[in-house]
Amino acid sequence: MLIRESINTAVDAIRSNALRSILTTLAIIIGTAAVITMVSMGSSAQKAIDDSITKLGARTIYVYPGWSRSGSSSDRKRTLDIKDADALEDDREIDWKIAPEIRGSRQVKLNNESVSLEIIGSTANFFDIRGYELDEGTLFSERQDLSRKRVVVLGSSVPKELKTSKKRLLNNEISIAGVSFEVIGFIKSQGSNGWRNPDEQIYTPLYTASDRIFGRDTINSINVDFSTDYRVEEVMIAIERVLRREHDIGPGEENNFRINDWSQAVDLRREATSIFFALIVGIAGISLLVGGIGVMNIMLVSVTERTREIGLRKALGATSKVILTQFMIEAITLCLIGGLIGVVLGTSLYFLIAFLQDWPIVFPFTAIIGSVFFSAIVGLFFGIWPARRAAKLDPAVALRYE
Amino acid sequence: MINVDNLKKTYYMGNQSLDALSGVTFEITKGEYVAIMGPSGSGKSTLMNIIGCLDSPTKGTYSLNNKEVSQMSDDELSKIRNTEIGFVFQNFSLLPRSSALENVMLPLQYAGISLSERKTIALDALEKVELLDRKDHKPSELSGGQQQRVAIARALVNNPSILFADEPTGNLDSQTGMKVLDIFKRLNENGQTIILITHENEVASAAKRIIHIKDGNISNDEIH
Ligand SMILES: Nc1ncnc2c1ncn2[C@@H]1O[C@H](COP(=O)(O)OP(=O)(O)O)[C@@H](O)[C@H]1O
Ligand SMILES: [Mg+2]
Repeated sequence: MLIRESINTAVDAIRSNALRSILTTLAIIIGTAAVITMVSMGSSAQKAIDDSITKLGARTIYVYPGWSRSGSSSDRKRTLDIKDADALEDDREIDWKIAPEIRGSRQVKLNNESVSLEIIGSTANFFDIRGYELDEGTLFSERQDLSRKRVVVLGSSVPKELKTSKKRLLNNEISIAGVSFEVIGFIKSQGSNGWRNPDEQIYTPLYTASDRIFGRDTINSINVDFSTDYRVEEVMIAIERVLRREHDIGPGEENNFRINDWSQAVDLRREATSIFFALIVGIAGISLLVGGIGVMNIMLVSVTERTREIGLRKALGATSKVILTQFMIEAITLCLIGGLIGVVLGTSLYFLIAFLQDWPIVFPFTAIIGSVFFSAIVGLFFGIWPARRAAKLDPAVALRYE
Repeated sequence: MINVDNLKKTYYMGNQSLDALSGVTFEITKGEYVAIMGPSGSGKSTLMNIIGCLDSPTKGTYSLNNKEVSQMSDDELSKIRNTEIGFVFQNFSLLPRSSALENVMLPLQYAGISLSERKTIALDALEKVELLDRKDHKPSELSGGQQQRVAIARALVNNPSILFADEPTGNLDSQTGMKVLDIFKRLNENGQTIILITHENEVASAAKRIIHIKDGNISNDEIH
């Protein structure tokens, strides 16, 4: 009852000084908007990561060659070979899928056209692990791999690189480093991941690549794919166990291979995000503090300006508690208005950014409730002093005030 | 109803002191229409503030309806001001942002009366001062006389036992002032106790009894 009257009175008082009120709460508006935008953007990024993990239903760990114990830098790339991949394949402790990769650039020729393209040799399940889908033709099989068949599957832009079309290429021959290969299929366009472009690559069976193109059985990396039922750490330990045994690495000696997991990158990003988040919360905190002091200042001015009004209200029977409540509610309302404007601005800004960047949208409920709550707390805290001053005014003195 | 005995009020400013009231004694009974008259600075407002429970005396006793006011708590005083006393001030006595109706409803709000009831009572009070058609006007949209009539409606809305008016005609031309005094007269005829404070002879002569005050002392107390 009393609260509702006080809210009406507060809104009236604020409205009668609309511009001053808005300026006063500017810091609160900015602080709230910043928190909402940043927190929401953080949730969007998190959701994007989570989505991509759940979409794959699996995660991939990459194993790369490291330094050989012999120390020679030319041995660097020679510490992982097909046998290592086979050993991982044979170890059934974890139900993983293994795809070794052997990779390099070679001249690819068709008639008079010649371009240098990246050739990747891998097993049949490579496409499955990478999530590459067949567009036309067929993918190569395990049998074609073991029999070192000269077949290739092409990325979707390779025909263009060779100034021809998919139709003309399918089931026809191209030459890679002087050896002719039959084109058996194309994968759908994947788009560049900013580092490698799968559309411009040529895929061939592992043993074919090893024997007929690169002439080596050392490999560039091993993809280890496992279901999300396993923890990343336990998979990494299993890989380490197998490869250390395979490489005869004694206790206390360092690994001569590297195990990379992009969940580490995710963790790193999470950590960076949380530092960033702490920074934003800090800035927002300072903004709210500044805003709170502004509100306190304007409330003190308001109490002075309205001394006669306060005296009059007391003469008409308002108790000190009523006056205290009135000014407290006015301060809280002022902060809440600032907070709500900030919420609207922050949410709109976030929606705009998410829309432009094509991010998944997460409606920032918690952030909104949190910042509205905090702006009310700011009003409560910084409103106490002015409100007490108003409540304590002596009615006779207040009525005499000019 | 009002018993004032040897009331003193001293204001201290730094090391200077000023006796605004230096021992006044009088009694006012129910239904009286009393004017407190004296030149500016004689202590009239100081006296009204004390018997209006807005201020406390430095010395002496004041009892209202046989209750010693100086014994009362802050909240009790608020309640007395709300229900027993109605004030009409010389100027700026209405809340500028509120309509006439809202102004009149204010004491009822502090009395904790429900909104619908408040409206009924306040409209009734506005009708008595013939301002029903101006109920939604803000003070700035009303003439000085109309503003004072709204203030009177507000002062009376809680059926107070005493109506205080501190220079109610001070800011009005004589014709409008007469109209306000007519309202007081009518109210008094219906049994309303009224204490009117003024420095003007003509205004004071509207009352049945005049207490003359000079330099904080009662110089004359006449009934005519
Ligand atoms: N709060 C105050 N502090 C100091 N002096 C005051 C205060 N209120 C009134 N006075 C002084 O007391 C005297 C009486 O004032 P007041 O009661 O307002 O007179 P009146 O209403 O008759 O003009 C004046 O001299 C005035 O200056
Ligand atoms: Mg005066």
